[in-house]
Amino acid sequence: MDSNLPCFILFILVGCVKCSSEYHPHNGTRHYDYCVLGAGPAGLQMGYFLSKAKRDYIILERNSGPGSFFNKYPRHRKLISINKIHTGRQNREFNLRHDWNSLLSDKPDLLLKRVSSEFYPPADAFPLYLSTFVKELGLKVRYGVDIGRIRAVQSATGRRYILTDQHVSDYTCSVLLVATGLWVPHKVEFVGSDLVEGYESISTNPEDYKDQSVLILGKGNSAFETAQSILGRASHVHMISSSPVRLAWQTHYVGDLRAVNNELIDTYQLKSLDGLLEAHLDKIVIAQRKEQGRTRLGEKKKEKKGQLYVTLKKFLQHQKPKNSSDVTGEELPGYYIDNFSLRKPYDRVIRCLGFRFNFSVFDSSACPPKSDNAKGRLPKVTAWYEGKNTPGLFVLGTAAHSRDYRSSAGGFVHGFRYTVRAVHRVLEQRYHSNPWPSTKLLTTQLQSWILKRVGEASGPYQMFEVLGDVILLRGSHCEYVEEFTLQALPQFSNLSGHEVSDHGLIVLVMQYGKKKIDYLGPERTEGDWTKAWKSNFLHPVLYYYDTLPTEEEMKLRPSGWALPRPKAIHHMVEDFLAEWDSPISHIQPLRRFLEHCVQTDLRAFYAESCFRSALTHRKPPLFCQQGYLKRRGVAHSKQPWQHIHDAGVMPTEQDAGTSVADPAFPNCLAQAGASKSSGLKLDS
Amino acid sequence: MEKAARGKKDIVLGYVRSLGTQEHRSMMETAYVYGSKYQFILITGGPVLKHLGVNELSHSSRVWFLHCRVHSGFVIPMTCPLTLMRKPLSTLSLHSFLQLMEAPLVSEVYNDPSSVQPPQFPYQQTPQVFLFSRPTTAHLDLDTATTLAWRLRGLALLLLVHRQSPAVKTPDEYNAAYRLPEKSSEVKYLTLNDLDEVLELFTNQEREEEDEEEDEEEHSHFGHLDDEIAASVYENRGDLLDMDSITQLTSDNFHTAVAQSSLTVALFYLKWDAASMAFLSSFLDVAEGLTDSGVQMSAVDCGEWTDLCAAQPGSSRPIPFRPITAFPSVLLLRPQESAQHYRGMLGTEALHRFIMLSHPASPVLLSTQEEVTSFLQEVPHPKLAGYTPDRVLGLFETHRGAPLFTEAAKSLRGEVLTGLLTDGLAEKLAAEHSVDLPAVLVFPSWRTHAHPSALPVSNSAEELLSHINTALLHPLPELTVENLPSFLSLGKALLLLFVGEEEDEFGRRQNQVLVEEMRGVVELGGRRMEPYLACWIHLGRTPAGMSVLGSYLGSMPPLPALVLTHLPSRGEIYQYPPNMPIGAPSVLQWLQRIEDGTESAAGLLGEDSWPPAVKFYDFLKIMDMQEPNSAQQQTPEEEEEVDEKEVNMEEDVLEEATDSSSSSPTPNNNPHSEL
Repeated sequence: MDSNLPCFILFILVGCVKCSSEYHPHNGTRHYDYCVLGAGPAGLQMGYFLSKAKRDYIILERNSGPGSFFNKYPRHRKLISINKIHTGRQNREFNLRHDWNSLLSDKPDLLLKRVSSEFYPPADAFPLYLSTFVKELGLKVRYGVDIGRIRAVQSATGRRYILTDQHVSDYTCSVLLVATGLWVPHKVEFVGSDLVEGYESISTNPEDYKDQSVLILGKGNSAFETAQSILGRASHVHMISSSPVRLAWQTHYVGDLRAVNNELIDTYQLKSLDGLLEAHLDKIVIAQRKEQGRTRLGEKKKEKKGQLYVTLKKFLQHQKPKNSSDVTGEELPGYYIDNFSLRKPYDRVIRCLGFRFNFSVFDSSACPPKSDNAKGRLPKVTAWYEGKNTPGLFVLGTAAHSRDYRSSAGGFVHGFRYTVRAVHRVLEQRYHSNPWPSTKLLTTQLQSWILKRVGEASGPYQMFEVLGDVILLRGSHCEYVEEFTLQALPQFSNLSGHEVSDHGLIVLVMQYGKKKIDYLGPERTEGDWTKAWKSNFLHPVLYYYDTLPTEEEMKLRPSGWALPRPKAIHHMVEDFLAEWDSPISHIQPLRRFLEHCVQTDLRAFYAESCFRSALTHRKPPLFCQQGYLKRRGVAHSKQPWQHIHDAGVMPTEQDAGTSVADPAFPNCLAQAGASKSSGLKLDS
Repeated sequence: MEKAARGKKDIVLGYVRSLGTQEHRSMMETAYVYGSKYQFILITGGPVLKHLGVNELSHSSRVWFLHCRVHSGFVIPMTCPLTLMRKPLSTLSLHSFLQLMEAPLVSEVYNDPSSVQPPQFPYQQTPQVFLFSRPTTAHLDLDTATTLAWRLRGLALLLLVHRQSPAVKTPDEYNAAYRLPEKSSEVKYLTLNDLDEVLELFTNQEREEEDEEEDEEEHSHFGHLDDEIAASVYENRGDLLDMDSITQLTSDNFHTAVAQSSLTVALFYLKWDAASMAFLSSFLDVAEGLTDSGVQMSAVDCGEWTDLCAAQPGSSRPIPFRPITAFPSVLLLRPQESAQHYRGMLGTEALHRFIMLSHPASPVLLSTQEEVTSFLQEVPHPKLAGYTPDRVLGLFETHRGAPLFTEAAKSLRGEVLTGLLTDGLAEKLAAEHSVDLPAVLVFPSWRTHAHPSALPVSNSAEELLSHINTALLHPLPELTVENLPSFLSLGKALLLLFVGEEEDEFGRRQNQVLVEEMRGVVELGGRRMEPYLACWIHLGRTPAGMSVLGSYLGSMPPLPALVLTHLPSRGEIYQYPPNMPIGAPSVLQWLQRIEDGTESAAGLLGEDSWPPAVKFYDFLKIMDMQEPNSAQQQTPEEEEEVDEKEVNMEEDVLEEATDSSSSSPTPNNNPHSEL
């Protein structure tokens, strides 16, 4: 890969230049350097970056407006992404930490709060916001283009993707950015799965569930959202899935059950007819009871006809017709286990198992493989979100969540808006030779800059353990690269266009503690900075490497770690206010860590100390070199200050040129000096 | 120094880690009191420390007493015996330490130890050690006692008890005794086989104390700020800064605020940056002094207004500066102009002066003789009365030749007053100073207006600027904290004269004569002096110079002292023979000897590398200790094992088809979670 990459880039570059000139409007084929598939939040976010960089791009959307998923979902029409408008802060970057819906742009007020002031905004607000985003930024979206087939062709000018829409028009592009989201309802096949209703089509009117016993498959947010809406009408609400409920406030994963949806836990634990169960869905059977001829009460039986029983595959008697899901009493678990939990029938079984990626439009030449995690519902992508085996095809947004599935926020707007930006930076470097934006800093300013990022940066805060700032040490200065995709660190130089010098690098990551603890218990926080590595809440961690870690090291990193074992590590102790700026607990330990990394004293000195060290050493400490020697020394502030100089210390002006004590020199210092010198006035 | 003092005075050598500390003060106060009795030497580092075996990274101050005075009856070895003060440095402890040094080395008594009085003032805090002497071995016993006394010096007082006295009741089996202060006046008796045992007794005790001290040090290493600026900001954390006197600039009000005033001075700061906060209070002082002056003093909290500081325009109007990446930064903003960076000292005085000097246009267009006179003689602002600014005049035939000069003048704004003359007036002034047009006349503050330096107009503004800056430099400067950087940047070796504070007119005149001699060196040396910058430091006005001198020579020499330092690519420091009068020819000869390599160095400059002063807190090491393997890279086999385990766990989930909510969670095994 390493050796091929430059070649590949060259091809693509040549390709791009050539392609943009061979634009053929006839034949129904149009070429773009970049095709973005889908005008949802991820597609529009990428559109913004492409448009800002003045790239040749198009966003293709099969529906008539942006974010159409949100016209239907969530079914109960309340977004659970927080829209915290009041943070007490004016820092726009900081405020994005608590705005989970807005997209990134350079328009400071192009935020979701424009269309909704609610903490949990109504779902309709989101497509509305996205339309505003498209309009105000003038993004190029083509609606009503339903791409049904995507294939890749390899030509002399490089690899290209050909997209065919419903009218058999082709779009060709050098880079394909797939932001189609997840919208195909995820189904699990089991005996009787045809008797189950889907989240996508259930009634959202609670009255329709009056006095019904409901079994919900799944324990995610859509399952609980559904449960919550019918809680007041249904008689029983049972929820079943293979794993127990995971609470977002315990796992720090927003895809797990949010407290906003968890009323059923309350009614379950307070024993009010609702309940949670664990079982593998492919082991269960949903069935109707077979009539067994001994019916005496015809009418009553009719009533019961629609009821659904739960049984286990192992109790089924063999040689059943394939599509028959009727069971006999002997096939019900209650027949064998007298207190079996699910022995009573249900009026409805609802499937709320989430969504999967639509692989079906991809030709084998362009199809990214399925990921190993998330039960293959997502495409497998590299650490920089390029499809495995599909160079030039990138996956953005929710569909790219396989990188941080169940661990960070990459599947959600407030996370993927940053990974989209990272992908765009990869594109700029690879296809246009624009290195990742970076800030050149004096090494003595690094500590302040880190504290600034730690105090406000939203990307690493939301995409904790996935995106991190990379600081390239260069001796007296350093290069600060923001929000790099951590797992791609071995490829850093290629992807970012920045070289790592032999001074090494520091990676700044926000991370949670890895210990399972009592999350509301007394031991949940750590205040002592010397035990910062035991912090449980989100806190900054700095990794120092003398060289870039290799792929191998990355693979074998300590279990649970975002990065391989570094040369040195520094945890900044968690902070209740999430403001890491205390002089003793946060700043000084950080400085000592940085000093260790750069092997230089990074303390700040007053001008007088710099004066001394400048005269007694070949060079004063770095702070003095970069401040005092540049005539920007820091004077003691708490000195009495006289405007009018007390002349008479020395005879003043002489044409012969006798120097005068710098008349600006504060007189008070001379006085202060008098007492100091008295003891040392030797033989003069 | 030691050589000079041997036989005459004892030396008190103090090492303090930095000046201005409490310890430094204690040292100074004591020096003031005992100055006539002892030779005080103060060091803050340098080779002497190494010689004394002290790690320069060590944080505690130290005091040594060098017994250089001839003590009757004792032979003084080649170097003066040394006693280290064991207690932490304070005025009081130093005081009692010095008194202890005055105590007789060995006292002879004829009483039983139990009836010997406990030590009297001022030694009441000092343990006593008793040794016994028999008449037959009296001489030997005294020698032994003296040897031990030297080793115990500063720790305990030694008393030699003459057993022949009938008052001595101590049984013969004991050959030593001691009494500790405070713990009643009980005497403990011992039988020693070896003198080291006594020594051990006290050094052990001391070691215990030292351990405690180290613990404290360890503690302080975590709990206290070792950055002097951070520490002073932290000390004042209780004081609320009154920010009302300045305008808070924000992303929202920036453009309107800047448009409102002809000059806005904006401080860009970060709350967690100690230098920013230290300077903020100076900035507020300046603001207070500038109320109603028409200057808008303002500040930008870059922790809050991050986009403004990054120069990201929130609106269509451009931000007139580049992103701020160094803190604190001060910009001078004028409507419709790009911002000017303040590049001076971060202090009240310097900033105030800069703002005052940047009031007039740069350059000022001068069109009459009166304006020229006023430009050259008047202070631009009454608040600068008493201050003599540097001035530069550009003389051009027309305005056409002036852009280069105008550009240079712009960047000199605030530091130097610049004026522009054209046409007849320019010709007149050129003629007065016998230069041809175009020309630039530089009037440094240290010279009268009658004799400006004339510079040709250069090819570029940068070149012109550097010529102007060079012309402004004093040829024989008094180095101060503020001006040293300008002179160091010349990269020349420093021929540096240290003069003391004058007490009277006579002293003043003496110092002046010395400076005149230095001028003589420069003049007599001519081109030979080019690699050198002759300069001087007045220790009264620049007390920081004291420790510089001390560190150069390892001690404080008599003043005046002339040294040669900062030789290019060499660390040696040479001292002009202190007993030789400073005169131009002999200084030049001395310089020649140094060039020839026949002069030996008196000291060395410190290294140019500054390793971290304190070791960092190694979290990796602690993790490895407390949770072995948690921070270790995995081995490939381990990884597979983990996979297997996951598979196994999946297997038994089925059996949990009950409502037991206690079933163990299976990590990374949720096929049905939703996105």
